[in-house]
Amino acid sequence: MASISIQNVRKSYGALEILKGFNLDVADGEFVVFVGPSGCGKSTMLKILAGLEPATSGMVKIGDRDVTDLAPGDRDIAMVFQNYALYPHLTVAQNMGFGLKMRGTPREQIAVRVAEAAKTLDVSHLLDRRPKQLSGGQRQRVALGRAIVREPQAFLMDEPLSNLDAKLRVTMRAEIAALHQRLGVTTIYVTHDQIEAMTMANRIVIMNNGLVQQIADPDTMFRKPANLFVAGFIGSPGMNFLRTSRHADGRFAVLGEMLALKVPESVDDVIVGLRPEHIEPGKGGLTFEIRPTLVEGLGSESYVYFDVPEVNHLAAAGGATDDGRPPGRIVARLMNAGPVRVGETLTVSVDPDRLHLFDPATGQAIPKEADRSW
Amino acid sequence: MRATPLQTALLYAAVILTSAILVFPIYWLVITALSQPDQLRQLPPSFWPSEPRWGVFKKIFEERPILLWLGNSALAAIGAVTISMVVSVLAGYSLSRFRVRGGQSLGLFILTAKMLPATLLVIPLFGIFRTVGLIGSMWSIILAHATLIIPFTTWMLKGYFDTIPRELEQAAMVDGCSPLGALFRVILPVSAPGLAATALYGFVLSWSDYAYARTFLTNAQQNWTANLGITTMKGEYVSNWSDISAASILIALPVLLIYLFLERYLVGGLTAGSDK
Repeated sequence: MASISIQNVRKSYGALEILKGFNLDVADGEFVVFVGPSGCGKSTMLKILAGLEPATSGMVKIGDRDVTDLAPGDRDIAMVFQNYALYPHLTVAQNMGFGLKMRGTPREQIAVRVAEAAKTLDVSHLLDRRPKQLSGGQRQRVALGRAIVREPQAFLMDEPLSNLDAKLRVTMRAEIAALHQRLGVTTIYVTHDQIEAMTMANRIVIMNNGLVQQIADPDTMFRKPANLFVAGFIGSPGMNFLRTSRHADGRFAVLGEMLALKVPESVDDVIVGLRPEHIEPGKGGLTFEIRPTLVEGLGSESYVYFDVPEVNHLAAAGGATDDGRPPGRIVARLMNAGPVRVGETLTVSVDPDRLHLFDPATGQAIPKEADRSW
Repeated sequence: MRATPLQTALLYAAVILTSAILVFPIYWLVITALSQPDQLRQLPPSFWPSEPRWGVFKKIFEERPILLWLGNSALAAIGAVTISMVVSVLAGYSLSRFRVRGGQSLGLFILTAKMLPATLLVIPLFGIFRTVGLIGSMWSIILAHATLIIPFTTWMLKGYFDTIPRELEQAAMVDGCSPLGALFRVILPVSAPGLAATALYGFVLSWSDYAYARTFLTNAQQNWTANLGITTMKGEYVSNWSDISAASILIALPVLLIYLFLERYLVGGLTAGSDK
């Protein structure tokens, strides 16, 4: 086991810059998840860590060793791939023992370690089969087995669950988390699935367009998103965004109410972020009436869509704030709201302290008073 | 949607007709070999000889050095296929995996070499082989066949390697293989169907050559290939078509046996990728 240090790593293909300076220190035994939309550079960063892609510049250290220019096999890491990448001509046992064989481990020792890893992952009965005789879940277990049998310094996992069906994904997610707890090996895990990121990570690295947007633990990522992208990416359904401007009396119009938002006096325009689950039925701090345009009942909860006053419409926001909803339509995730019908007026409320504020010019979060450094 | 009886009947008729068209020349070759010479020109033709000449094959072995010629053909084909496979595995893998400056142009250049008719290369190759003293040697046709086979096999293998996920060799490299080690330990074993199909293709190309053997082997009869030897059975005034047909069957048999041996790999090649 070892710590990992990524220092100012850049990657370009000609004029196309995939990674624009990536910095991260991963502690020994930590589980870090890289998450972001397709093409954000997360898999490229993982391949640079593995030595499968050279960095254009920057340095990668595993433990105390600078591994930037080392071959993948010399880095003492193991990798789990999205499509399993099991060797189809070898049996499960041979697949799991391949890395040890390449390192000249004696045959008897390979057999012992493969048997131990197979027992850990409950694949002992599959050791003589070939990959094509296995189900998707079994293949993924074998791929994990191939990684753990080598007892490497770190595990790198590239979207290992995305080829599995939804039910199996949940099971395997828990298994990987349990495996990490048991083995305590430093793990870097790439996914585009925010639920995997939120449930498995000690820390999440959110990326977009080759840039790190925020590095934080899942709770902080949810409660204090650094910018509009992170706010829109984390959470399901995504955060609602409302635009508002300062009135002559210094207050801001939000959902038909005038609010004294806690923003610096120099700020006249604000994007207000409102999580769907923070809208509650009944009266509260900021109370307003809605007329649902669409109701999606999920049993224990309902997704209620409604239109906001035109003054709060966020026009052509793009990026993470563009969730496909029509401009001015937001969603509330109501728990135990009773029957909600389209077109029937409903009273809901929000605690104003739970509103997130963003600078429309930079997209960065405006820190709440307690967090401000000015 | 289930086919109607008429559709099924038409389908079967089409399959039988196609098979008959494909099998008929082979059938005709066999009965020509087994027929008495005077039966060959009779009208209406006989579709099975009244007294099959089973001894014709023994006669061919006794009268002609057919085993020597078959051996020469095999030597040429195995030599050419071996050289071609070594070159085209490395070239095809490089074209499939590595992005180098000018790589695409190089690939297209190989493709254009594939389009040249073999006879166009006879004269320049003759000049080269005469200069280096290879005329009359088996090496001349081994190398000439390799030049013919390599462009085809390189492109066939490039196409096959393209279907193999890169993650396989990446996994092998993380497991401790060098790039070449990943090729030999993982990619080539996985590519067995593609290699078998490519090798068979090269073997047939070399085995069926006549023009190069005729030009480069000159009068050195001990080096003649089977195809070259068989043409000497056709005289200026008299041709014994029964004997020629019997020799032709003997020459076709090795290819058929190799095909039967490689069949499971070839069929595997057709379905590869469906379970990746």
